[in-house]
Amino acid sequence: MAEPGSETDIPRIQKCVAVFWPSFLTAGIATILFFAVFDPKEMLGCAGLPGLSRIGAYSIGFFFFWVVSSGSCALALYFAKPCPSLRRREGHDGPAS
Amino acid sequence: MTDNSTQAAKATADQVEVELLAKREKIYPRAVTGAFARLRVLAVWTLLGLYYGVPWLNWDGQQAVLFDLPDRRFYLFGITFWPQDFFYMASLLIIAALALFFFTALAGRLWCGYSCPQTVWTEVFLWIERKIEGDRPRQIRLDKAPWTAHKILLKGSKHLIWLLFSLFTGLTFVGYFSPIRELAVHVATFSLGPWESFWILFYGFATYGNAGWLREQVCLYMCPYARFQSAMLDKDTLIISYDAKRGEPRGPRRRGEDYKAKGLGDCINCQMCVQVCPTGIDIRDGLQYECIGCAACIDICDQVMEKMGYPKGLIRYTTENALEGKPAHLLRPRVVIYGLLLLGLTGALVYSIMTRIPLDVDVMRDRNALYRETDEGMVENIYTVKVMNKDSKAHRFHLAVSGLEGARLIAQTAEFRIASGEAVDLPVRVEVDPAELRRTSSEVDFEVAAEDGPELRRVEKARFLGPVSR
Repeated sequence: MAEPGSETDIPRIQKCVAVFWPSFLTAGIATILFFAVFDPKEMLGCAGLPGLSRIGAYSIGFFFFWVVSSGSCALALYFAKPCPSLRRREGHDGPAS
Repeated sequence: MTDNSTQAAKATADQVEVELLAKREKIYPRAVTGAFARLRVLAVWTLLGLYYGVPWLNWDGQQAVLFDLPDRRFYLFGITFWPQDFFYMASLLIIAALALFFFTALAGRLWCGYSCPQTVWTEVFLWIERKIEGDRPRQIRLDKAPWTAHKILLKGSKHLIWLLFSLFTGLTFVGYFSPIRELAVHVATFSLGPWESFWILFYGFATYGNAGWLREQVCLYMCPYARFQSAMLDKDTLIISYDAKRGEPRGPRRRGEDYKAKGLGDCINCQMCVQVCPTGIDIRDGLQYECIGCAACIDICDQVMEKMGYPKGLIRYTTENALEGKPAHLLRPRVVIYGLLLLGLTGALVYSIMTRIPLDVDVMRDRNALYRETDEGMVENIYTVKVMNKDSKAHRFHLAVSGLEGARLIAQTAEFRIASGEAVDLPVRVEVDPAELRRTSSEVDFEVAAEDGPELRRVEKARFLGPVSR
């Protein structure tokens, strides 16, 4: 990915996809694996939310995983940007000594 | 780069980036008819017919296909799958992957063009759009026109029908997990539960967004298959190609003119192949990442060739080798191996499911002692027999032992009833006259059989330990 707005930058929709789509897939897998091991009914008693149904727990769990992995994808996208070039800055500020 | 040119570049970039979906102009695929179009329509009807129809089927008094998540059971036409049956799901995934490799090696992106849900639903949405807004030229004109009452009516009714269809799709999707007939009743009486409502809306909105707005952008940016397809293609894969040797140089010509004398190829540069393309590419530039293999360009070019009186097939399914004039090898080792593996694994899976006995029996010998001598002088071993009824109905079972001369089963009761999905632990003892024992460690068979179904029985082997008679 290059400077924002340049021709070599990926389209904005592709950036949105890169943040929300892989996180959706990962959240799905995480939800399946997590709730295969931990039964929400037993955990909700400890958490003080006994009124929530299983489907409700699965749903909230899925969206929680989705939000968390979206954050991870967003950070990954940010750190995938090329670092600001030192050589270009020297042209403006003069070489650092 | 000077400051001026950087500023100018940023200005145009800002204009382009104004809309989320900008950077590409909206693609208006032209409607197409023809052999491949008919195949695609058949696929749409079949697949959507299955998708919308199957949840309404009943079997043995309940929904035929139901994935009961909270109870962790999957019902499939009278067969109940339990979490212990996860192996079948894993096998299914492997078979799906093999099928993908097989069909891609054979003819490229067949999945994308004919059966992918994104393609199927987008086709329906495009069809609805065409019925309301008209064909391609009228759609383009309507989008450029100012917002009159007429335009509001057209666009409004299109989105309304799209949304209704999406909600119905969402309802059907949730109907695979929660009995659909009850859902329908709840919808009609406005008594839907909060989570059901949420997921119907969520999935409906996803359908509306993907098929109505994103369309080909899903294929371009979200689909991993598009990215690694090149790893599965080779020079003998059937791909949609433009025969450049025949078509070039392209150019318009008058009717009946001797175009070959003018140095022209068969391509009249009518641009129809570009207009019908749902991803907006020009197939004459060669096979591209964006091409989903829908063959619309083949259909339209064949029609144009027919009108011109030229032979069909200027754009056709062919292999890279064939285009270069080399001999074609459709049936090659890669294809044969994938095909055989696919056939073998699918057959094994089907056989395994058909001969599946929905009964689990585990025999655990009490390890506290090798054996026990009773007051009557018999040798005794203690076991725990765990029986799980994996069938969808309750059954009465009978326990017996065999395989060891003179063995006698002592249990509180040898007949027990187990409800569907339940398991029982039976503490039992087996005793044998020591005179009949030939070895210190003998094999004994525990048989659990249902009283109302002779095929519902299992035999588990266990060890019986005792002293050797002198």
